[in-house]
Amino acid sequence: MAATTVLPRPKAYDDTFFRPISIWLTTTDHKLIGIMYMVTGILSFLIAGIFALVIRLQLSQPNLSVVDAETYNQLISAHGVTMIFFFVTIFLTGIANYMVPIMIGARDMAFPRVNLLGFWLVPVSIILYYSGFLTGGALNAGWTGYAPLTEKAYQSHSLGVDFWAMSLIVWAISGIMASTNFLTTIVALRAPGMKLTRLPLFVWAQISTSILLLVVGAPLAAAMILVEFDRQLGTQFFTTQGRPVLYQHLFWFFGHPEVYIMILPGFGMISEIIPVFARKVIFGYMTMVGALFGIVFLSMTVWAHHMFTVGMNTYVEGFFMIMTMLIAVPTGIKFFNWIATTWWGSVEFTVPMKFAWGFLATFLIGGITGIYLASVPVDTQLHQSYYVVAHLHYVLFGGSVFTIFAGLYYWFPKITGHLLNRKLGEWNFWTLFVGFNGTFLIMHTLGLEGMPRRIATYANASWATTNLIITVSSFLIAFSVLLFLINVVRSWNGGEIAGDDPWQGNTLEWATTSPPPPYNFERVPPVHSFMPLRDLRESGEVVAAEPEPAKV
Amino acid sequence: MAARARGLFGLSAAAFLLSSCDGLGGISPIFPTPVSPNGEGIYALYVGISIPAIIIFIGVEVALLWVVLRYRRSRQPAGYVPPQIHGHTGLEVAWTLAPLAVVLAIAWFSFVELQRDFQPITNEQMLVVVRGHQFGWDYDYGNGVVVHQEGTLAGDVVPFVVPVNTLVKLQFQGTDVIHSWWVPAISGKTDAVPGYDNFSWLKINQVGSWRGECAELCGVGHGTMQIIVKAMSQSDYDQWLQKQLASQKPSPSPSPSASPG
Repeated sequence: MAATTVLPRPKAYDDTFFRPISIWLTTTDHKLIGIMYMVTGILSFLIAGIFALVIRLQLSQPNLSVVDAETYNQLISAHGVTMIFFFVTIFLTGIANYMVPIMIGARDMAFPRVNLLGFWLVPVSIILYYSGFLTGGALNAGWTGYAPLTEKAYQSHSLGVDFWAMSLIVWAISGIMASTNFLTTIVALRAPGMKLTRLPLFVWAQISTSILLLVVGAPLAAAMILVEFDRQLGTQFFTTQGRPVLYQHLFWFFGHPEVYIMILPGFGMISEIIPVFARKVIFGYMTMVGALFGIVFLSMTVWAHHMFTVGMNTYVEGFFMIMTMLIAVPTGIKFFNWIATTWWGSVEFTVPMKFAWGFLATFLIGGITGIYLASVPVDTQLHQSYYVVAHLHYVLFGGSVFTIFAGLYYWFPKITGHLLNRKLGEWNFWTLFVGFNGTFLIMHTLGLEGMPRRIATYANASWATTNLIITVSSFLIAFSVLLFLINVVRSWNGGEIAGDDPWQGNTLEWATTSPPPPYNFERVPPVHSFMPLRDLRESGEVVAAEPEPAKV
Repeated sequence: MAARARGLFGLSAAAFLLSSCDGLGGISPIFPTPVSPNGEGIYALYVGISIPAIIIFIGVEVALLWVVLRYRRSRQPAGYVPPQIHGHTGLEVAWTLAPLAVVLAIAWFSFVELQRDFQPITNEQMLVVVRGHQFGWDYDYGNGVVVHQEGTLAGDVVPFVVPVNTLVKLQFQGTDVIHSWWVPAISGKTDAVPGYDNFSWLKINQVGSWRGECAELCGVGHGTMQIIVKAMSQSDYDQWLQKQLASQKPSPSPSPSASPG
């Protein structure tokens, strides 16, 4: 602790943080915009988490009525929409917004003002969605909002669906802006020497994510526009008299790639974190990049695996089944490469590394249950049951949330200049790991026994104990998140000073001060490989310098 | 032959392990014991997929544990500098092809089952039109008998009665929003979608009752859309049918307006 008093605090952002709100409204600095994205994401995470706790209370025993069925349906919809659209995607956009330009040695994003506009569309989108609650009820058809349940004939009491549709249109526009900006930045603004084959894998992951969002954002907006036409102009696209299954095709053509939009940046972070803490170079850099693009391609050819019970031709079902299963191949390559990277390493099991391992251990289960779900006959049993709820949480919580925590513990020192407290971090990890598996592992069995998802309550007494265990465990997750918040607040205000490079990183963000100055680098270091900082350290050019106060 | 026998042994051992946990109430690792051939097909496929799934799960988790336990910095000699290995083409090709072979095998067996049990059938002994509505199911036997299974959580719903050992074709229709008919002990679910008919079938091999629920969110009463399927012996079924015909026959007296239906 003595050292902390000696080191001068980097001052780059000390002014900005406490300056009037106008700075946040008008800044075009990708780092401040990134922080705003991340804070928005975390707030959404907390709100949607509270919804989840209410949902779990409602389901903890049979025939409860903590909330009525209509409120319950609004809660599950809001939980899903908020987690997927306003937390995971938004948070990941934020961390990429912060890190990608620094990692490629750029001063800012290619279109700083588009960046700011894209960010401010997110609160607009969130407010639009939540405005539904003021009109008699928000969306109550699940986050997927299947027609014709969303049609006027079944929704006469509120405008919730309209606000949801408008919210997602704005969200899609924001996402398309951000994706265009990322791609342009990475193509045009790389530092000298930063060839495409030297991009950090997190940047490659962001390229693949941006391509996906660019392709599938528009179909989502199209589906929402058609829903609005039906509701407000009296068209018959998805109504009872129309073609409801067409909605599912449009929605899932967005919806399945969206799963990868939420996980590929996580893969990228893991690919950054493991080599640093194993002190080894990533095993199979090119196959890692190839696997990313394999997933990008395959993820756009699998959407109808969400629709195996609507009655498609069996050969069409067979096609979507095999494409879905093929995704296991690139994902498997990534898993094996991560393990091979760690093999013979010198592993420092820090908190970011623990979260990376929590991700690997749990995402594996999500991947394996994905094979069961891809098999059409088995899927007709498991579809829309609690097995699917368990599976998707293993993929999105075990996948996205664990990687987000890994990334936060890894990059928090860069963003704030302070390390997150290690002891609280350990508690944070273990309570999350136990709470998460306690919640979702036995949830598979409920689905196997016939509990459908999205039911407001149930009469079957044999599901009671399992549901109670799940509810108790879900509160352990809430406790863990509370520990995390305490850790963030405490560490941001006077945690251990990080210095430029607390982990002995490989990539360029660790070459600048923590937090970086507005222009990111005084002098962009030379780039000779995909681990430029490590090259410098080994050649002795970079000293583990004590952080100098940044000159602003 | 030996390999085949070992494979069969593995399959039956896994089936035994999985099914011995059946009926634990709340934590079963597999579906309820199936009572219809299509349910049995799905059950066998689930067991088959479980064999590579469990092996891969254990193998990878052990590898994950091994690397972080064995290669901890504290367990490495002081000053240990790890070898910097950029990749290995042979290994990378191997762990591309091995998962590929596994998933192709799973896809093949799944596709065979799909062709066998999920084609619309034409050799049915009985046809029932199942109409989903908010919130309940109507079962139209085509001979004037319609079972109205209105959703409730307060008690048991009216059972859908079928004769045992009879191949019944189910024709699903949605009348308002999308519903999904699911009785886990019989087979997978089938959506009742407005605008077109969807098909499934069942052939229950024993007398008894099985429960299910609507599996597609259809509004506030979604959770109340319980399903009970009751399989009766042919003679009991005939009696039940006569009773239904008698009670549902439109009484001739009330109004002279001849109903078109």
